[in-house]
Amino acid sequence: MNVAVNIIKEKYSNRINEVVIGTDPHTVKAGGDSTLPFLLFEGETPNRPLVALEVWDIEPKQWPEILTSEFKGVMSNPAAWAGKCEEYGADLICLTLAGSHPDNLDSSPAQCAETARAVADAVKVPLIIMGCGVEEKDVQVIGEVCKVLEGRNCLVGCAKQDSYKTITASCIVHGHNLIVSNPLDINIAKQLNILVTEMGLPSNRIVIDPLVGSLGYGLEYAYSIMERIRISGLSGDKMLAMPMFCQIGQEVWKTKEASSPVEETPEWGDQARRAVLWEVVTAATLAQAGGSIMVMRHPGSLKQFLVHMKNLMEE
Amino acid sequence: MTCELGDPPVRNVKIIPWGKTVAIPDGENLLQAIAEAEIPLRAACGGEGACGRCRVLLKEGRVRQGLSGGLTGEELAAGFILACQSVPVEDVVIEIPESSLVDLRRVVLSGSGRDISLSGPLYRKIKVELRPPSLDDPKDDLGRLLDELRFQLGDGRINAGLGVVRTLPGILRESGWVVNVSLAEAGGEIYIEQVEQVSESKYYGLAVDIGTTTIAACLADLESGRQAAVRGAYNKQSVYGEDVISRIIYAGEHKDGLEELQGAVLGTINGLVSGMLDDLHISSGDVKVAVCAGNTTMTHLFLGLDPAYIRLEPYVPAANNPPPGRAGEIGLKINPGAWTHCLPGISSYIGGDITAGVLVTGMAEAEEIALFIDVGTNGEMVLGNREWLVACSCSAGPAFEGNGIRYGMPAAEGAIERVFISEKGFRVECRTVGNAPPSGICGSGLIDCLACFYREGVIDRAGKFIFKPENRRFREGDEGPEFILAGGLNNREITISETEIKNLIRSKAAVFAGIRSMLKTVGLPVEAIERIYLAGGFGRFLNIRQAVATGMLPDLPEDRYAYLGNSSLKGAVQVLLSKSARRKLEELSGKVTYLELAAGKTFYDEFISALFLPHTDLNLFPSVNFK
Repeated sequence: MNVAVNIIKEKYSNRINEVVIGTDPHTVKAGGDSTLPFLLFEGETPNRPLVALEVWDIEPKQWPEILTSEFKGVMSNPAAWAGKCEEYGADLICLTLAGSHPDNLDSSPAQCAETARAVADAVKVPLIIMGCGVEEKDVQVIGEVCKVLEGRNCLVGCAKQDSYKTITASCIVHGHNLIVSNPLDINIAKQLNILVTEMGLPSNRIVIDPLVGSLGYGLEYAYSIMERIRISGLSGDKMLAMPMFCQIGQEVWKTKEASSPVEETPEWGDQARRAVLWEVVTAATLAQAGGSIMVMRHPGSLKQFLVHMKNLMEE
Repeated sequence: MTCELGDPPVRNVKIIPWGKTVAIPDGENLLQAIAEAEIPLRAACGGEGACGRCRVLLKEGRVRQGLSGGLTGEELAAGFILACQSVPVEDVVIEIPESSLVDLRRVVLSGSGRDISLSGPLYRKIKVELRPPSLDDPKDDLGRLLDELRFQLGDGRINAGLGVVRTLPGILRESGWVVNVSLAEAGGEIYIEQVEQVSESKYYGLAVDIGTTTIAACLADLESGRQAAVRGAYNKQSVYGEDVISRIIYAGEHKDGLEELQGAVLGTINGLVSGMLDDLHISSGDVKVAVCAGNTTMTHLFLGLDPAYIRLEPYVPAANNPPPGRAGEIGLKINPGAWTHCLPGISSYIGGDITAGVLVTGMAEAEEIALFIDVGTNGEMVLGNREWLVACSCSAGPAFEGNGIRYGMPAAEGAIERVFISEKGFRVECRTVGNAPPSGICGSGLIDCLACFYREGVIDRAGKFIFKPENRRFREGDEGPEFILAGGLNNREITISETEIKNLIRSKAAVFAGIRSMLKTVGLPVEAIERIYLAGGFGRFLNIRQAVATGMLPDLPEDRYAYLGNSSLKGAVQVLLSKSARRKLEELSGKVTYLELAAGKTFYDEFISALFLPHTDLNLFPSVNFK
């Protein structure tokens, strides 16, 4: 005897905003979901999670050889490095202006803007622009970069609790999308989104950065906060209905598991395989929690992650 | 010439404008001299040299100075010093400016003068007629009296002390077996306090609200229930610190600290009592019973109980419901045999003042769900109805009391109590208490500021200034950006800084988060609250709409709010005069569930979401639609 099984479907009152980055015909879209990630039977998931590869304006000193070897010969030239990433299949380039850090080159806003323009000109895929993390410096640098990239509809980061005004204003004036960062706190995420939209930035130009952690280093905290943000957004909270941004590479590559060479920890096995897996597992987990834009470092991670996404996105 | 080796040198301190001169031992500071002179000086930090409240002007003589925290460069130049940090090295003359004094007008004596009906006071005299003994009825005198009392009172637990029995045979026979018997109730028992000839002399009961900052007392005629006299004063403990925590620390860290603090509160109450006795032309012996309502720390200090563990995790007091004692053993200057009762509390941070308040509201017998809020340094709240009651206490910080805010002050003369801001922050009008020139800003003014600043776009929802270079009210102060509210005395402009705004937002967030945490615990929405009772000095001046606009109080129709006045004193009077009030208080204090906010994550989550104007969840404040 056959028993008919009714699949119970959740119907949410709201959907996640769809944020469009880049210019035609090379735009990418993040978000737009009307249900929890990959529940294809229940609602729409119009866009698969996007992957950005990281490009720096200086040569990173801490990156292990298994990572730098993938970008041999291009790391001294951000534009060429970005081209290489595009070749590897990145949906976006995440340009990190680490050189503007006072402890690094302390490069000027104008120099940063020049680099950003060069990178933008070298690739077709859209750009994510990240500052060096020193707030006073970022305020100046990001403003200048936003200006020279006017019309390119980039994704710019990061607005934070104590410094969201200037960067938000730059995005409004020069037509970019904004990453709004919060320290793994759903309330602060929402407060910042309210403040930023009240300044006049439309909510479909905002991406939430919950400051995620890597596998083994707080991943579960990130997972539960992201899940709460996503459920609130779908349940009607418009100030939390934004796609989420995950800085995977930055977190994964500072872990011992990714950076320790095989000579140091032979029992952990081959470093390249281990590090890439660490990055892929972190990204895949956070995609499951609702992450829409994954910033990674290793082209191998990108490849494996996209295979996994393809499987999940098939009906 | 003689050399007085035995006597340590003393320094004479003359205090103007009081014209008082006190002598203090060498090495003691001016704060101690001022305390000696019983002048109510403000000392928020408890003599740490940090708050700058106890500023005095040195007119003559020299002092050895320590810290000068909280004094501006101009004040230093003008000769201001901190009393707590200045040790006279010779005889000195100091002047205490008005702003350093605590102001008596802030003492809330009562909300309404309605007398409470008398029905079974804690102490009463009844007339008893006994059948004289005979050969057929040779019962002993005490047995005879007890039988008659048990019959009249319908109550078996009646005790008599030896002292009463000693005089009993004589009095019974002299008075022809018709006597007045004085009965006192204590700890659920009835005591025969006195047996005497029938006379018409009046007798009184004392009710006291022992507040951290202010103390209010009332003498009630126990025959009629009439409140014959009422008085208020500042708690003399203020010089040992303005909040309970600094006083607990003082009691623990100073030799005889507890005795000093107990002495200070007793001194305040005894002063009030003696004033009322003079007004009524009666003697202290006529005051036969006392009832005190205070927070748990105040009760401990009043009774001389060690308060140290109230402050330390897991926050356990010596007693929530301390047993009654005789006035003489406590040091209260009324009839030494008078039983002195302290109202029962619930926990270290929900004391007898709050149970008294809940008693006054009647919420523990009502069907409707009500919320009782007493906001001071701690926000104490009780939610519920006749079926259940939940209480919590959250640290609101000292901002509403006028501390931790540079120009903060109590609602005394010259305090800005209302602020009206328009034209996007270009136009500011202030109203002060007594229409005096502004000398600071009090809690209600600060709430107005917060609400108006946000409405007029002076700050954003997170409390950050939105600078407008053309608005000259913005300026860079010693502690970051600030906004000028008003010009004050001596060109001292009254300002409020961004840091202070953030402190205020934290204070209001703590109150609302406490309310929400209780609601969440019982699974009710904000709208379920049918009535809100505000108690204490802060509630008196508060503009409800503005407080709602900041997100401090729930967004409910204004007619659901009621101001209670000094509910702690009222509750104490009820307990003094009414047996049913005592029964209700006992019932309700057994019924309250204390919610420890420090345990669990709910409060913290609620607190963070309340750190926004009016709230992260804007749906909770539908009437607040500024934008």
